[in-house]
Amino acid sequence: MNRPSLLAIAILAAIALPLGLTDFWTFIAIEVLVFALYAVSFNLLLGYGGMLSFGHAAFFGVGGYTVAILVKHGGLPLAVAFPAALAMSAITAAIIGFFSVRRIGIYFAMLTFAFQMLLYTVALKATGLTGGDDGITGLKAAGALSKPIYYYWFALIIVIVALALMHRIVHSPFGMTLQALRGNPRRVEYVGINVRTHQLATFVLAGTIAGLAGAIFAISSGNVFPGWLNWTASATPIVMAVLGGFRTFIGPMVGAAVYVMLEVVISGHTEYWPLIMGVIIVVLVLMMPEGIMGMTRRIRDGKR
Amino acid sequence: METIGLFFTEHFGWIQNPVVVARQMLAGISNGMLLFLISAGLSLIFGVSRIVNFAHGVLFMLGAYFALTIAGFGPESGLWFVLALIAGAVGLFAFGAAVEMALLRPLYQAAHEFQLLLTFALVFIVGDLVKLIWGREDHAVAVPGLLTGSTEAFGVTFPTYRMFLIVFGVLVAIALWWVLHRTRWGILVRAATMDRHMLGALGTNTKALFTGVFALGAALAGLGGALAAPIVAVGPGLHVQVIIDAFVVVVIGGMASVGGALVASLLVGIVNAFGVLAFPSAAVVLTFALMAFILIVRPWGLFGTPE
Repeated sequence: MNRPSLLAIAILAAIALPLGLTDFWTFIAIEVLVFALYAVSFNLLLGYGGMLSFGHAAFFGVGGYTVAILVKHGGLPLAVAFPAALAMSAITAAIIGFFSVRRIGIYFAMLTFAFQMLLYTVALKATGLTGGDDGITGLKAAGALSKPIYYYWFALIIVIVALALMHRIVHSPFGMTLQALRGNPRRVEYVGINVRTHQLATFVLAGTIAGLAGAIFAISSGNVFPGWLNWTASATPIVMAVLGGFRTFIGPMVGAAVYVMLEVVISGHTEYWPLIMGVIIVVLVLMMPEGIMGMTRRIRDGKR
Repeated sequence: METIGLFFTEHFGWIQNPVVVARQMLAGISNGMLLFLISAGLSLIFGVSRIVNFAHGVLFMLGAYFALTIAGFGPESGLWFVLALIAGAVGLFAFGAAVEMALLRPLYQAAHEFQLLLTFALVFIVGDLVKLIWGREDHAVAVPGLLTGSTEAFGVTFPTYRMFLIVFGVLVAIALWWVLHRTRWGILVRAATMDRHMLGALGTNTKALFTGVFALGAALAGLGGALAAPIVAVGPGLHVQVIIDAFVVVVIGGMASVGGALVASLLVGIVNAFGVLAFPSAAVVLTFALMAFILIVRPWGLFGTPE
């Protein structure tokens, strides 16, 4: 089967999916959509740009908090809150990116990490705006979107558009330059391309999309917590991307789906989900560094 | 003018009180010394292996828990406290060596993201194991009898344990300097920081060196945790603030520079101590602001070298 028809089947399946699901599982399906988008946005940095951000949760959190604050305190509709969330996460990414892309590699990881912790502290301390430790709860979409199945379709449209946009970008000349940059930044610079501007633009794009994912999730889960911005939250997209395989566009989506399902099933049985996730990461890193997509590709190629 | 005056008295009124300033200074320096023990190890490990050890905070926490258990055998007893310190350092030395050999060694050739993920996995694993073994609640460790109470210096009374921390930190700093600059092993460590491939090519057993450095870094963190145990709440959340501060320190001081770690630790410790007085709810922001400032004027850190 060729790729367009596979894609069409996948989209149809995604549209039909909630028809056979209870409300609980519809929420889980929304979570999969959200984290698929989040993981792919992260992979723009890691997989395509070779930039390991350890603070990607900052933008997910900013998107979520922006929507939560505007809806809860401002009483504004999603039509205003969502664009505002995009703008806020883009601005945040521009500021953090400005400082962080000065130093790529391990320093970049630490800087993004540090800035995210700064935002975490703000979320925790600015109690008047963010509710502090208690977060902001009881968020709801107005009208038809308050039904899980409609919200699922609403989220699905946004996620498909955003994914298509990112797919288009990574295959554009901009995306090609980005990948060349991952391989050899110095050489790209010698060709006359401004490396930092390129990295900053990618960082802002990735941050904005992560903010969008956070915005969708704030309404579907009904609340935001400072934990969204905590450092452990930034491991999530990395684990998803590596689990699925960050050398492919689709890998992080697969990783996100597997991760969310694992979390739902395992944390239903034990409160020590972090422990089990830690062990999964160790196995992943030591035994199958190419992730699920890399494994399936190797098995397929081996059979030929 | 009046509002400025009000702002000043509200946030900086304490400046007029020399006793408060002196006490806070001492608290800042002693916290800075603890921070130095952690960030020196972080810096050493990074210098030699180029791995940023996200798990360094949980190593510190583990040291505090080891001290909790050992000191529990003889509360306020000086002997048991010394044993607790030894347990923190030696226990983490062994733990660090085991982790390095079993988990990190296969990853030295792999990309950064795998190394970071692995140290991250350790955070989750150790963080939960600690809850399984010692429970979720916070514990307290008693200050040993000899070091309780307060001591007078410069006409101000200071908590004795804080004074002890400073003296101990200085001794560790001197010992570390001696090891790095006056022993053959130290020369190898510094050589590996400059060019580990060349060192390997010249016939040094870099595997053993890497294990040794990681174990030493872990031992320093464990010792720091054990020393901190009497002045912090020993609980499963202990590692979080510690690792953030340590990261800020190594960014300010310059990665792979132990001297930079010392200066930056004291700086961050002092800024934190006075920040809490001036802006109780926003003190953390100050250290980040300091870090951002350093990054703008000297992106490679105070004592680092530009690449």
